[in-house]
Amino acid sequence: MDQTRYAELFRTEAREHLADIDAALLSFEQSAEPAHVATLFRTMHSIKGMAGAMGYGVVEQVAHALESLLDPLRAGTRHVEPAVLALLFDGSDALRLAIDDVNAGRTDAPHRTVQALLQRLAEPLAPAAPHDLFGCVTAVGPAPVATTSLADASERATRLVAVRLTADCPLKGVRALLVLTRLQAHGAVQAVVPPQSAWQDDQFDGVFSVTLASDVDASAIEASVRAAGDVARVVVRLVEREQNRSATSDDSNQSRGPLRDTLRDPLREQMRTVRIDLRRLDTLLDLVGELVITRDRLLREADTAVEQGASRALARVAHDTARLVSALQDEVLQARMVPLGQVFDRFPRLVRDIARELGKEVHFSTEGREIELDRSLLDAIGDPIMHLLRNALDHGVEDPATRQAAGKPAVGQLVLRAGRDRASVVLQVEDDGGGIDRAAILARAQEQGVVPADVQYLDDDALLTVLAHAGFSTARAVTSISGRGVGVDVVMTRVRSLGGTLEVETLEGEGTVFTLRLPVSLAIMRALLVTVADETYALPAAHVVEVLDFAPGTIVTSLGREWISIRDEQVPVVRLRERFGMPHVDGDGYVAVIEAAGRRTAIVVDTLLAQQDIVVKSLDVARGSAPLFTGATVLGDGTPALIVDVGSLG
Amino acid sequence: MSRTVLICDDALFMRTMVGDILQQAGFEIVGEAETGVQAVEKYRALRPDLVTMDIVMPDMGGIDAVREITKQDPSARILMCSAMGQQALVVEAIQAGAKDFVVKPFQPSRVLEAVTRVLAA
Repeated sequence: MDQTRYAELFRTEAREHLADIDAALLSFEQSAEPAHVATLFRTMHSIKGMAGAMGYGVVEQVAHALESLLDPLRAGTRHVEPAVLALLFDGSDALRLAIDDVNAGRTDAPHRTVQALLQRLAEPLAPAAPHDLFGCVTAVGPAPVATTSLADASERATRLVAVRLTADCPLKGVRALLVLTRLQAHGAVQAVVPPQSAWQDDQFDGVFSVTLASDVDASAIEASVRAAGDVARVVVRLVEREQNRSATSDDSNQSRGPLRDTLRDPLREQMRTVRIDLRRLDTLLDLVGELVITRDRLLREADTAVEQGASRALARVAHDTARLVSALQDEVLQARMVPLGQVFDRFPRLVRDIARELGKEVHFSTEGREIELDRSLLDAIGDPIMHLLRNALDHGVEDPATRQAAGKPAVGQLVLRAGRDRASVVLQVEDDGGGIDRAAILARAQEQGVVPADVQYLDDDALLTVLAHAGFSTARAVTSISGRGVGVDVVMTRVRSLGGTLEVETLEGEGTVFTLRLPVSLAIMRALLVTVADETYALPAAHVVEVLDFAPGTIVTSLGREWISIRDEQVPVVRLRERFGMPHVDGDGYVAVIEAAGRRTAIVVDTLLAQQDIVVKSLDVARGSAPLFTGATVLGDGTPALIVDVGSLG
Repeated sequence: MSRTVLICDDALFMRTMVGDILQQAGFEIVGEAETGVQAVEKYRALRPDLVTMDIVMPDMGGIDAVREITKQDPSARILMCSAMGQQALVVEAIQAGAKDFVVKPFQPSRVLEAVTRVLAA
């Protein structure tokens, strides 16, 4: 048996299971639904089985102990008490540690935390005190089947109303509430699935069903639901007796409501997937990269040959090949795309834990989980995002007392948002905290000599430059959470190395937004090739707005720098020769207007060569340096070219 | 006769934006309020067909204003204007009697759809 292959499978699947456990635990903490217990139980069980097969004794032991803890909850013979919940949370942490250990090849002695946890799990739980049964209304077990009074039931028909909200419906939970409010006007609501407590969850996808006892006819109910707005589909049907199964059935899908599945997007249901080893995908991408370079060479050679009298058929074959290579390239890149949800999944738990440790109250939500990103980027952005979330919790969101004193709700809002903007993915971490204290940062920066003493005010850009300055820290900002101070420099370096940009917007008393822009894919990008002092450089085409002839006469000098007027807009000029430390030459050239981080810059180059796809090879950028380049590439004729970091210009 | 609207938001920018959207659709803006207290007073004085209400305002927030207004006039038609991430607050506002909501940044079409729903209810 190929042990390494199975180890790899275990690693991937265990990671997915751990994410499921976190999500289920968090939902469970909100509302003790039997469905969450079922998920937890099933997941623990899977991990136990996998670990057993791999001979990972410690993991198996922990999973088994947790499974035993869950069993009485699942059977409904025990209620959820805070102590059990805490044990489940700690247990899932221990499970993660144990899994990390075996993944790292440490299979001998269990981690101390794991040992302690196993000990705690081995001790019998104190019997539930009577007050727990009442104090904790969230009893697990068969959901009570709601009954209406006889008068209601005899006259009215019981209908199941299943609703799917539109995909772009904002605040789905509130819209669902509006639908429910309308239904309540038509009769007695007997059951709601998923329960209303789950509607405010970020995971709520806008699919729900309501059991309604009503004498209003189906079409009127349907029309009324549709009029609530943002309703994509609604199905009303009579509930027949035999379908009215008791909720004690072991079928875990039961709680999702009978009509739920028929409302699912059929496309999503039909999707068929296959697991592929990541290294295969990487190799495939490398090969396609080489193929793309060869394609460009082939096209050039074929055109030359035809000019010199070769058959036109050669050019046609070359162009057909080129087209197929492009299609193949798109497919391979697409195959590597992964929804951001995969990386977002781990944040709710981390945010919860950090917020608790800091004594902050925060509501964390994510948007744009469906946005896709290349696999390699996905792995790389986890840390920067985590860093920004930590910062927001530590330095942004105030403690409840401070918030209330400032007239804000005690619970802060922390949003992680993703969206597409042309060839970029935009990620935002937004808090409604106190904002960054510009005056304090300025004073500290001047103290450390990062900013000249005559600077009066830091605008958002200047603020970011200071925060991203390697080693800059505000002394009072050192806590156990973001120990080394603000750490924006780490984020900035990482984002730059990925070919992305970072921006900050902050308003004192209102909050802070960090915006991170990343290319969708790292591997292949469209570039404008230019020359400066006989060397070839690549400008990412996604950032190039337009290209102009450069007439030195159109340049004006003001505020200590050069500006060029482009259709009545003054755009700052950057001469690449100067930036690269090359001798200045007078005379003509070209201007590439680039837009990065929301700003335009006119870049002066010697000549323009061509626009083409390039395969990006990463450069090791020294931490904290201001890199001019994000990577390098090898062109079709074998010459290397550096890729200019357009975000660092300007 | 055009329908009358009272716009409540502490930001002039937002009031102008909502006002422009509604005016272009033929509504008559009869008043604006910058605080919850003003919203309640102006509602009493103007009795508009529709109220747009921001959630976070100084001097009595939007939710309390909704409570106050619906207490005086249970048939008041109030549309909440919410920022992303205020789900819990919007739920509270709906429970307090608001009829619908729109989410910032405003898309004129969404605002008008919501207004139509509120007025039709």
